[in-house]
Amino acid sequence: MTGKIKNWLEIRIGLDELIRTQLTQYMVPRGINIFYTLGIVALAAFISQVVTGFFLLIYYIPDTEHAFGSVQDIMSEVPFGWLFRLMHAVGSNLMVAVVMLHMLSVFFMGSYKKPREMTWISGAFMLLMTLTFCLSGYLLPWSQLSYWATTIVTSIPTAFPYAGEFITRMMRGGETVSGITLNRFFALHVTLLPMLLILFIGIHLFLVRRIGISAPPFDKVAEKKKLWIAFRHEDHPDGHAFYPYFVQKEMYVLMAYFALMFFIISFLPTLFFPEDANTPADQFKTPAHIKPEWYFLAAYQMLKLIPNKLLGVSIQVALTVVFVLWPFFDTKEEENILKRPLLLFVFVLSLITWVGLTIWGQYS
Amino acid sequence: MRYLLWLLIISLMVFICAPLPSLGLEDTAARSTACLDCHDSEMMEPAFRDIPADWKKSWHFQNNVSCHDCHGGDPTDAAMAMSPERGFAGKPEYSGVPEFCGKCHIGILKNYLESGHGKALKASQSGPNCVTCHGSHGIQKANINIIDEKRCSQCHTYERAKAMKQALFATEKKIRDVRDSLRELKAAGVFTEEEEKTIFNTEAEFRTLFHSVDVSLIKDRSDGFVKKLEQIEAREKSVFRELEFRKNFSAFLMLVFIGLGAVIFLLSKT
Amino acid sequence: MNRRKFLKSVLFFLGSTALVSFVYPLVRFLEPPGSGAQGGKTIVKRAEIPVGASKDIVVNNTPAIIINVPDKGFIALSKVCTHLGCLVEYDKPGKRLLCPCHAGTFSLTGNVLSGPPPKPLQKYSVKVEGEDIVIG
Repeated sequence: MTGKIKNWLEIRIGLDELIRTQLTQYMVPRGINIFYTLGIVALAAFISQVVTGFFLLIYYIPDTEHAFGSVQDIMSEVPFGWLFRLMHAVGSNLMVAVVMLHMLSVFFMGSYKKPREMTWISGAFMLLMTLTFCLSGYLLPWSQLSYWATTIVTSIPTAFPYAGEFITRMMRGGETVSGITLNRFFALHVTLLPMLLILFIGIHLFLVRRIGISAPPFDKVAEKKKLWIAFRHEDHPDGHAFYPYFVQKEMYVLMAYFALMFFIISFLPTLFFPEDANTPADQFKTPAHIKPEWYFLAAYQMLKLIPNKLLGVSIQVALTVVFVLWPFFDTKEEENILKRPLLLFVFVLSLITWVGLTIWGQYS
Repeated sequence: MRYLLWLLIISLMVFICAPLPSLGLEDTAARSTACLDCHDSEMMEPAFRDIPADWKKSWHFQNNVSCHDCHGGDPTDAAMAMSPERGFAGKPEYSGVPEFCGKCHIGILKNYLESGHGKALKASQSGPNCVTCHGSHGIQKANINIIDEKRCSQCHTYERAKAMKQALFATEKKIRDVRDSLRELKAAGVFTEEEEKTIFNTEAEFRTLFHSVDVSLIKDRSDGFVKKLEQIEAREKSVFRELEFRKNFSAFLMLVFIGLGAVIFLLSKT
Repeated sequence: MNRRKFLKSVLFFLGSTALVSFVYPLVRFLEPPGSGAQGGKTIVKRAEIPVGASKDIVVNNTPAIIINVPDKGFIALSKVCTHLGCLVEYDKPGKRLLCPCHAGTFSLTGNVLSGPPPKPLQKYSVKVEGEDIVIG
C-alpha cells in the first residue's frame, strides 16, 4: 500500500531523490551531540503553542469584562480545557528555556561565525519575538498578575526623555493599561507575531540547510581552517545520515520535552500560577509583591539595582544590540571556545551573573 | 577594539544621566488623612494617642475603613475635618453606639434592637452595646470566642451565654472546615470566588443572627445554614475529585512520552 | 531483527495511545456544550408579581430577585452584593436594594448608589411570553 503511494508521488515530484538528498544521504557532522537537537525542539514547542493557542482561541473572549471569566470557563467548564490551557502556559515557559539553551549552545560552539552571521541574527530576533509573545500573552487572562506586570513592563520606556512617554502611550493605547491595551496585545499575540515568527523560522531553516550544519569545534578534524571566499555548502562525508541517526536523536529529545511538560502539569500545576494569577484584575488595588516571570527577572533586578532609570534601560538596550549583532563583534576565526580563555571567561561570567540576578530577583 | 568603543559609550551615559532624577520602581506610600495628621502625631493629647495605633491593628483598617467612614468629617481638608457641615459626628453617646455602628451594619442593628440586650440598653441606658464586646477602634474579625465568661457574666450568669455558644459551635466548626477546604482549592489553582461569596454571606447571616441572643431562634435556623454549607462541601469534594483526575491523566500522558522516548532510544541502538 | 520488530510494535502501540489520548480530549473539547452548560431558565407567572412587588427566585444556582418596577417593567437582578457577597434586600418604600452587611445601596436597575460595592448587580435577561416571564 505504501509502496503504491510512494510510486504515485515518485512519478510526480521525484520522491526518491528528495528522500535521498534531504534525509538518508544528507550527512550531519561526526561529533554531533544532543545540543544540536534543541533547534527542532524549539520548533516543536512553537508548533505546540500554535495548536493549543488555536484551541484556546475558540473559547477565549478578548474583552475586559469577559476575559478572566472565559479563561475560568476554559479551566472548569469546557471538557479538557484545563489540558490545553496548561499545555499552553507551561509550554510557553519551556519554549523560552529551550530557545535560550539553544542560543547558549550555538554561542558555546562558535556556530555564529562566518558564514553563519545571518543565522545568528535571525535567531536573536526570534528570541526577542518569543519574549514579546510571552509579554503579550501574559496580559490576556486579565488577572491581577497580568494587569500589574504589564503596567510595570510598559512603564520602562518612560525612562527615555521625550520619546519615552510617547512609546509607553502607544504600547498601552492610553495613559494606563486598559481594554485598549488588551485588544492590541491580543492582535499582536494572535496574528502579527505568529506570522513574523514563521517567516523568520523559514529564513533560519533555509540558512541552516543552505550553508550546512557546523561541526562541533572540539574535534581535531575540525581544526582544518578553510578560507571562506566563495559560497560552498559545508559537507560532512565522514558524518552520519540525517535519517535515521539524527532524526532518532531529535525524536527522543522531543519525547523528553513533552514528558517534562506533562510532569509539570501533573505534579506542579501551580508552578507558574501564583495567587495573583487567579484573581481578576483590579486597577485600584496593586498586589504586594508583583514580579515578572522568571525570564524577565534578571533584567528587572538589574533595573532595580541601577539607581538611574535611564542608565539602566540604556545599558539593557545596548546589551541587546550587542547580543543581536554579536557575530560582528567577535570576528576571530577560532571557533573552539576552549582555546579562547577570555571569551570563555566572559561567557561563564555573564551566565553566572544572569542566573544570579534571576535568583536574587525571585527572593527579593 | 569594539569592546572599548562600547565601554566608552556606556561611560558617557553615566556622566550624562547621573544627575537625572531616578524614576525608580518605588512602592507608593499609604496616603494619610487629615485626621491622622493630627491624631497620629506627637501634638495629640495622651488620651487620644493610642487610637490610631489601635485602629491600625483592626479589621476595619485591613478593609480600608477609615476615621471619616464612621465619624464623618472631611479627611482631605484639615480645616473642615471635624466640621458638622461635612457630617462630623464626634464620639457617640453610650446608648447611641448601636445606631453609630449600624450606619453600615444595618442587619446587625436590626437584630440587636429586637434582642434582650438592645431592649435593655434603650430602656435603662445600661446593658451591652457594640463596644462592650467588640471594642471601639481595635475591632477584630468576629469569632465565637468573643463569647466568654468574663464578658458575658458582667450582668447575668454565664449559663445563658454558654448555651448560646454551644448552639453556635457546630455551625461555626463547619464554616471553618469549609473555609479550610476552599483555601486548599485556591492553593491548587482553582478559582473559588463564587464559593467564597456564598460562604461569606452564609457566615454573615449566621453572625448577624447571633445578635438577637435568642437560643431557640438560632437552633431553628442552624439547620438551614448547615444544609447550605453541606451543599458547598459537596461541590468542593467534586472539585477535589476532578483535580485528582487531572493529575492522573497528565501523569499518564507523561508516562506515554517517557515510554516513547525510551523505545526510540533503544531502537537507535539496534 | 526480532528485537527491532518488537521495539517497532511497542513504538506503534505507544504512538497510537498518545494520539488517542489527545484526540479524545480534543473531541470532547470541541463538542457543542450541552443545554446544562448554557444555564437553565427560570420561569415565573406574571400574575404573581403586581406593580411594585418583587419575588425571590433562583437563576443558575444564584439567588436572584425579580421586581415589577413601575413604568419600567420587569427587571431580574442577582441578589449577590458585589462587595463581599451578602444577599441584598428589596426596600420597597425607598425604591432601592439594600445590603444588610455594610449598607451598600443599589438602584432598582442594579446600579450602585452608595456604599462599598464596586460594581452594579448582575442583570439577567427577562422575556415576557404571554402569562409567563422567562428569566436567564
